[in-house]
Amino acid sequence: MKNVAIIAQTKEGQLNEATNQLLSFVSKFNPEKIILVVLGENHLSSVGCSVPVDVISLSDGLWADTSAVSSLANAVKGYTVFGIKSIQIDNILSLLASCLKAEVVSGVQHLGYSAGVFSIGKSIFSGKAMLEISSSTASIFSLNRNFDFSDVSELPAKAVNSTSVLTYSSESKSAITALKPITGTIPLPDAALVVSAGRGLKDPSNWTIVEDLANALGAATACSKPVSDLNWRPHHEHVGQTGVKVSPNLYIACGISGAIQHLAGVNGSRIIVVINNDPEAPFFKHADYGIVGDVNDILPRLTKKLQSH
Amino acid sequence: MKILVCISCVPDTTSKIAIDPSTSQISSQGLTYIVGPYDDYALSRAIELKESNGAEVIVLHVGGSESEALIRKCLALGADSAVRIDGNPISSTQIADAIVDYVKQNPVDLILMGKESIDYNSGIVHGLVAGALGYVHFNPVMHLDLAGNDLQLEVEIDGGKMEVSCALPAVLGCQEPIAEWKIPSMRGIMTARTKEISVLPLNPTDSVKLVKASIAETARRNKMIDAADAETLIDLLKTETNVL
Ligand SMILES: Cc1cc2nc3c(=O)[nH]c(=O)nc-3n(C[C@H](O)[C@H](O)[C@H](O)COP(=O)(O)OP(=O)(O)OC[C@H]3O[C@@H](n4cnc5c(N)ncnc54)[C@H](O)[C@@H]3O)c2cc1C
Ligand SMILES: Nc1ncnc2c1ncn2[C@@H]1O[C@H](COP(=O)(O)O)[C@@H](O)[C@H]1O
Repeated sequence: MKNVAIIAQTKEGQLNEATNQLLSFVSKFNPEKIILVVLGENHLSSVGCSVPVDVISLSDGLWADTSAVSSLANAVKGYTVFGIKSIQIDNILSLLASCLKAEVVSGVQHLGYSAGVFSIGKSIFSGKAMLEISSSTASIFSLNRNFDFSDVSELPAKAVNSTSVLTYSSESKSAITALKPITGTIPLPDAALVVSAGRGLKDPSNWTIVEDLANALGAATACSKPVSDLNWRPHHEHVGQTGVKVSPNLYIACGISGAIQHLAGVNGSRIIVVINNDPEAPFFKHADYGIVGDVNDILPRLTKKLQSH
Repeated sequence: MKILVCISCVPDTTSKIAIDPSTSQISSQGLTYIVGPYDDYALSRAIELKESNGAEVIVLHVGGSESEALIRKCLALGADSAVRIDGNPISSTQIADAIVDYVKQNPVDLILMGKESIDYNSGIVHGLVAGALGYVHFNPVMHLDLAGNDLQLEVEIDGGKMEVSCALPAVLGCQEPIAEWKIPSMRGIMTARTKEISVLPLNPTDSVKLVKASIAETARRNKMIDAADAETLIDLLKTETNVL
């Protein structure tokens, strides 16, 4: 791994924590050069890394076809490329892979490298199983959000070497006609704490007790699939096999039965709390803490307890 | 107007995954297979477009003959013909290369896939195919309208949604609520019997080596808290775990 490129994620113009950890992680392999590819505006002047990095900013745009990513492909030709899973990063990595005729592996949970061979742990079946892969040809990796960064330590900041901007190619045949960011709520995929509710809530108007608990915790809200199918909650909150896969520190499931398709989206959570009035609900088998009780009683009490602190 | 729908055939979402000790890989014993749920959304939308706009729908699967019953089900839902590229691909690259080779020989206007296969969860094949063919690529697409050569899409992005307009040809990864899953009609099942499934050989490209698979078990604490003392949950989360 002589040359490494990282597709960075930022928060308010600075690298987010996961990207900083990724920089420390790749530094372990003693690369000679590191390029940091940043989407959108940034004001990076120094970053924690073993060697000074070159920053390439991608201007806002769609980056939705090979004509758009080809300039980026030229800049990272011959590099080993890493990103941490997001919708946009996976899309860019796959287009980049086809441009560079490079092999890409996504869903990477752990990664080792020695003598030109990568040993890759790829999580499959929504985290139910792990596939160990070895490859001397793969060069593009999309890491899971809960990638094991446990043994990396923060590196002292080094001034950025150079900064350049790549503009999104106007050859592209597509245009954004409307942008609808979700505002005012914590984005579910990034949330450290999640309060999720299912059909057991009975009616969308009952979601106030879920939102109150989420607010008291500073958590994002989520739901089961039938709830979004019924239009009780927006589609982007639906967690599971066919929805968002979350891996928060804490997932509180309220009035959710624990169908296997739901579990597939929450397996990666560190601590799971289940609140359900049916002691036989399958979710309890997958819980760290379980409470058999009525959500209408339990949730407001938990909220009150949190507020009293 | 030709629409190609690429389907993965994956273990049913309720499957209990096990390892075959003789191969150290996922065992297919006792598993029921289904068309990937996202691919099912893609196919359902393709069939709706066929009905509303007129189109020829072709289903493509890269895999072994055991998938023919599922391919036949896609034909029963309304696809016009099917292609199976025969082999056992072991990576997204091999699958994408096979699809790209096919499309280079048999051009299509629109390629619909699922946002990801639910076995390997890569979410990569559509991007690889779009890139290699030089087509526009969007994923995951939640709404798709087609007027002539123009697509109007609603696409999920990190932290929201966007609406885009673009021109064919395109490769799209689909997710709900792009269409409702459909069930085959009796007539569909009858006519599917005579529809063609052509079989082409897979020329596997050099790829990764699968070393072994293992089952990931997350050990849970399984601690029950009495409803009368529900509030102690907050204390336990603070003292026993450091999540709060
Ligand atoms: C191909 C496929 C894909 C799927 N993908 C997903 C997916 O991605 N995500 C997903 O969530 N589902 C998915 N499903 C659906 C899944 O199988 C279940 O149907 C769904 O998860 C059930 O949702 P639920 O737990 O909210 O509702 P229910 O199963 O109806 O459970 C409601 C629960 O609430 C409890 N309850 C009722 N009243 C109260 C009360 N007052 N207080 C406390 N508890 C109460 C009940 O005991 C029950 O356990 C999928 C299904 C298929 C076939
Ligand atoms: N074996 C296959 N044959 C045809 N299409 C496939 C195959 N595997 C995956 N696909 C398509 O590629 C999409 C993304 O798959 P993946 O990149 O494996 O997550 C799936 O939703 C399918 O539409």
